[in-house]
Amino acid sequence: MTKSEIAALLRFDLREAFDSPGWVIYPWLYFGFQFLIYGTIMSRLVVSLDNYFYYYGTGLLILISFNVATWNGRRFVESAHEGRLRYILSLPIRRDELFFEQVLLGVTVSLAHVLPPLVLVLYLSGLYTPAALISSVVVLTFITIGIIGLMISLSFVAFKSFDIYSAIVAALSALLIRFSTMNYPLSSMPGVISGVSLANPVTYGADLFRNAIGLDTSLLINPEVSIAVVIALCIATMFGGMFLISRVVEGVKSS
Amino acid sequence: MEEWAIQTRNLSKVYGDKIALDKLNLNVKSGEILVILGPNGSGKTTFLHLITTVLRPSSGTALVMGYDIVGEPLKVRQVTSISFQDPRGFWRHKPAHILSFHASMYGVSSQERKRIVEKTMKEFELWDSKDTRFMHLSGGQAKRLEVAKLFVYSPKLAIFDEPTTMVDLDGKRMIWDKILELKERGSTVIVATNEVREAEYLADKITIFAGGRDLVTDSIGNLKDTVRGGDIVDLEFVMPIERNAIESIRAIPGTVELSIVEANRIRAMVNRSEEWLPELTEKMHVLGAKVRSIKLTEPSLDDVFLKYTKREEVS
Repeated sequence: MTKSEIAALLRFDLREAFDSPGWVIYPWLYFGFQFLIYGTIMSRLVVSLDNYFYYYGTGLLILISFNVATWNGRRFVESAHEGRLRYILSLPIRRDELFFEQVLLGVTVSLAHVLPPLVLVLYLSGLYTPAALISSVVVLTFITIGIIGLMISLSFVAFKSFDIYSAIVAALSALLIRFSTMNYPLSSMPGVISGVSLANPVTYGADLFRNAIGLDTSLLINPEVSIAVVIALCIATMFGGMFLISRVVEGVKSS
Repeated sequence: MEEWAIQTRNLSKVYGDKIALDKLNLNVKSGEILVILGPNGSGKTTFLHLITTVLRPSSGTALVMGYDIVGEPLKVRQVTSISFQDPRGFWRHKPAHILSFHASMYGVSSQERKRIVEKTMKEFELWDSKDTRFMHLSGGQAKRLEVAKLFVYSPKLAIFDEPTTMVDLDGKRMIWDKILELKERGSTVIVATNEVREAEYLADKITIFAGGRDLVTDSIGNLKDTVRGGDIVDLEFVMPIERNAIESIRAIPGTVELSIVEANRIRAMVNRSEEWLPELTEKMHVLGAKVRSIKLTEPSLDDVFLKYTKREEVS
């Protein structure tokens, strides 16, 4: 791999991504309001769970990572339509390296958005240990990689229409978020919904993340199964994305 | 050094039922400037995107500096650099970031980058805008920045797609001179344009594209010679010209058309005036017809361009 080129492209993209302080701070504010205000209200409404406040907070962290992943895919489609992608494609970097760089970009942005809120949740819940922080970050990274791979792969399919891409991602996001344990544990879901949620890799990612933090493990899916599903998701979307970028992607149609 | 910078073999690009480039066979010699002239939609940009591997060919292939665009795309990208027609997509970046990034992608060391970027920005009159975000640059500034990317190092194959659109007259001349400098430094240069003056200023050779095909490739001089009767010779005689003199002129090889403007003035449309004129003077000397003045107008590149593109429209 041409590491220096990947590093240069990543620096270039990160410079732009973090150029606006508001874009970095906004997810923290969003999390703060949602977690502290809405989470407090929700934890009083959801009485069937002992500790829904932190369950809700960890779900929010996954949602933020999910949002970064969709941003990453959308950015890729936009870059094709805005003329930036053709420039990147002309640079001396392999297509699979470009995909790898895009994933690194998404993971870095996701961690920047998620780390301070994650530390807050760990401290408030009294679960903070270096091991819990590291393991939860590792799990979150894998979840993010899996979803980014999925979103960028989708961007190739809907490459020539931003509207199609937006529609697909909106529908898919709604399904992946609603039919998962991001917001509620499997045990609280009606039978049909829990059945569908069991087919959703986000469910396994969310439960593995909570396992890593040390939240009420009785509510969660067996971590060994979750690890297998999350790793399978990562491998499938990474290889799928690399295959598609090598075979499908090219600059937009020109006159 | 490779003898040929580019060799295409039946290079084609098809979008659905539209043929953007149709079995192109074009060779470009290393170290020369090839200008691609063609109307909008003639396939110029598609060709440039194919040889920079931005697009994939539908069929056929091309060797760029000896590397196959299909089989060895990374090697092709390592020896080429392209300035796109319309600079877009850098939004929040500042000019120095963009140039520095471009240099870093082609192996310019970090110490060198700072110096080269500053020098290039000053040469391209961008230094005053060094803190302006790309999205706030004027069209001309953005275009100069796009072109400047190719001057932060010396690409083996430098490709410019309409390098001076949106640029003012001073800027055009500056860019043209910089492109000529690039050639002197050893780069092969390809320029796509529909501006004839730009082509005349830069080209070692010109190729004319229309309808996704290259119609002709040659030097400017040879292309002008292909315009039949393109040289216009206005002759003024001291006395009214006699019939035998007119017939004698008509008989000179290369005469395409002759018209009598006044009793002592005629206009001749001829091929290769450099051979036609000595013959004329010799014949008029023999006939005793005194010539007061001769005015020669050579065909312009516009005439060449129109000749080939009109023929394409008809066919």
